[in-house]
Amino acid sequence: MNAQRLETSRLMQRFGFGPRPGEYAQALKDGVAATRAKVLTVPAVDAGAATVLVPEITNIGKRPAANSAEIVPYAISLRYQNQQLVLWWLDRMAMSDHGLTEKMTWFWHGHWATSVGKVNFALPMFIQNKTLRTHALGNFKDMSRAMINDSALQFWLDGQDSTLKSPNENLGRELMELFVLGVDRYTEDDVKGAARALTGYQVVNYEGSLTFNPKRHDPNPISILGTTRPFNGEELSDFLVAREDCATFIAERLWYRFISSTESMPASFGAKKAFATRDISSAVKAMVQDPAVGDSKNDLVKSPVEWFIAACRALELTPSNLKTPTQLINYLNQLNQVPFSPPNVGGWPAGEAWLSSAAVQYRIAFATWLIKQSSLRGLLEIPVANRAMKSADWLGVAEWSPRTQGALRNSMSDPAQFALLALCSPEFIVSA
Amino acid sequence: MDTVTRRKFLKLTTGAVAVGAAAPLLSMNDIAQAAISRPLPANTPILVIVTLYGGNDGLNTVVPYTDPLYYSLRPELAYKQEVVLPLNAELALNPAMKGLKSLWDQNKVAIVRGVGYPNPDRSHFSSMAKWQTASPAKNINSGWIGRWIDTQPEEPMLAISLGSVLPPVFAGNKRSGSALPLGGLVIPKGDLAAQCLKLSRPVAKDSKLMAAAATSMRNLFSVSTNVQPVLKSPAPMPPDLPTTNGGNAGGDSNLAQQLDVVAKLIAAGSPTKVWSVSLGGFDTHANEANAQASLLGTVSDSLSRFMGQLKATTRSNDVTIMVYSEFGRRVLGNGSDGTDHGTAGPMFMVGNAVKGGFYGEQPSLKNLYKGDLAVTTDFRDVYATVIEKVLNSPVEPTLGKWTGRVNFFN
Repeated sequence: MNAQRLETSRLMQRFGFGPRPGEYAQALKDGVAATRAKVLTVPAVDAGAATVLVPEITNIGKRPAANSAEIVPYAISLRYQNQQLVLWWLDRMAMSDHGLTEKMTWFWHGHWATSVGKVNFALPMFIQNKTLRTHALGNFKDMSRAMINDSALQFWLDGQDSTLKSPNENLGRELMELFVLGVDRYTEDDVKGAARALTGYQVVNYEGSLTFNPKRHDPNPISILGTTRPFNGEELSDFLVAREDCATFIAERLWYRFISSTESMPASFGAKKAFATRDISSAVKAMVQDPAVGDSKNDLVKSPVEWFIAACRALELTPSNLKTPTQLINYLNQLNQVPFSPPNVGGWPAGEAWLSSAAVQYRIAFATWLIKQSSLRGLLEIPVANRAMKSADWLGVAEWSPRTQGALRNSMSDPAQFALLALCSPEFIVSA
Repeated sequence: MDTVTRRKFLKLTTGAVAVGAAAPLLSMNDIAQAAISRPLPANTPILVIVTLYGGNDGLNTVVPYTDPLYYSLRPELAYKQEVVLPLNAELALNPAMKGLKSLWDQNKVAIVRGVGYPNPDRSHFSSMAKWQTASPAKNINSGWIGRWIDTQPEEPMLAISLGSVLPPVFAGNKRSGSALPLGGLVIPKGDLAAQCLKLSRPVAKDSKLMAAAATSMRNLFSVSTNVQPVLKSPAPMPPDLPTTNGGNAGGDSNLAQQLDVVAKLIAAGSPTKVWSVSLGGFDTHANEANAQASLLGTVSDSLSRFMGQLKATTRSNDVTIMVYSEFGRRVLGNGSDGTDHGTAGPMFMVGNAVKGGFYGEQPSLKNLYKGDLAVTTDFRDVYATVIEKVLNSPVEPTLGKWTGRVNFFN
């Protein structure tokens, strides 16, 4: 496979959400170095993202009594706001001129995986999403502190029930296992210690507000990972983030989501060293420049949201304009990935988990529905004579296999079927 | 807010929650009429794996209702003696498990006590991975059923998981089981089908993931032509509705729906030897009592309904159900009326071929291991028994040289 085509494809698919018509061909002309630099240079203002209107996500107050007159309009606003939130974020992914910030926000959402299913209200999820975006390429120490103070995360992991008298281990365990250090890099006693350090937070869920109540906090010295002293939540966060294991863990997570979910991370992976200062953008820069990006064995499966957004960009569709948004969310739900609704605190799966035969049929139905709503300009502008080959550029695919070329050539007279096969081909589902 | 009509309400509410509500996708008229072409031979044993995700609290499932320590260790969470369903002088079932109790009374339920693995891991993900890969000491990428699939002749319907994401237990090194969503499958037709089949051909240069993507397309066609007609038929009706069991009165949970599909396909002779269904929500860190009782009620009602449905088929003696969760929960409550992650828990084996009763030692509440129940049976003892007695296969290719067994079959 052509090395430049492969690396350019990966840079655009993985560190953004894929090319719009013409962008991949242009990037090939610019060269890999220029594409890499472009991927890493976040513009001060993103004109595309700025076109997406910020939804009105408000405090809808406490839930009215079950059989009261207020409950129906209340339930409607609740669902409406939750839907608006999902559409807003999908629009940002699809419309951004520069993909890295949204892609990193998406990565962090899967990392600090919090579900509206339990949190219930759009407002705290919206606040958390803004926090993740603010710190997406910032310093991880600040991000981790901000997440300790995030009402949605605290509510999701029962932090509001954790008190001096009876600490709850849920948040403390996941903070170490899934957010900062990684599994097996602490003991069960450390989990109990972390739970004590995190006592005292209280949440008003529908407001998205969090307060710290010193009376509910354990002020005594606590032993965590060999250090004994009083800890509060932020001190615990700083303490964990400063550990060497944090750099290893975040580098591993970046590797898993951006480079390969099947190969293990080599010691030489640049992101780990670059994360010494806990600066996320340095780690991402080192990752983008790492030779692993060009290594053909590091393929990845596009998750359903990534596949959908890449399709929207190629088809020039805006998610919130699709008819209807409810139908859109149903399709994503069938593929098991709706933003703000990860299946559990470990986030979404990766790799082969997305490749079931059940997913195939939903993807075909979903793509058929999208194609009907697109002008297919990017495809139709390619002269018929070399459409089968050149359509790889339209989608940012490095190379069509002979099998896919064959299927595409057999569909020359039917552009909708041509587009459908291209979007459902192994080469587009997998980022080669 | 202005007055809202019912119509507007429905319009706004059918969104994020309804799975499979999208009519165009599930047009049953599109589904081809085809018969099962290669039915499972009569009397072939069938395994149904039920995974309880989140860590089920074993102590409040199989309750040591006469042990004073149970009451002194978890005063706020303990079930009172008068509400539990006694199985013997020491142990009782959770009050919500009336359906399972009735199967127990018919000698069809084996309860394996204190099941786990060495050095318990309290992470959901690691612990579930250990159970599903059957490799507690070393992280590997294949599941134990997946490795068994590797040893069998290729058959896309050999192992089927309900739902659209494949659980790791079904991932083999060479092949994997198939996933079947509850709504059924919609297969492309005509020229599109021909071209999709083209896309599904393996090519020499395919990476493992690319090959898996192509295979998933191929499986869509093979699974769908065989499964579709059966999904259209009604679920078998239990011939004898137990009068004590409220669960038959409806109130479908998702687990019941999954098992309905399994029952239909078993009845139709699907060449499937392993089924996987699941229920989530057992991570009861807070307000456990109601949540767990409701989930256990779902498990118990769904299983007894399923066993009833099988009676209407010719295969009721062939099916064995295995129920497990990734860990039990801490003995002491955590003060949020819940429990944190623990270690050992009971496993249930249900079926006509099962020799009802207790197996394995009940973990002592007196001699806790760091506040947790000690593991008394390794889950691989159970798996090895299942591989030999249900899957009729040698243990070694799947579990390596593993000698432990649990003698719960007639």
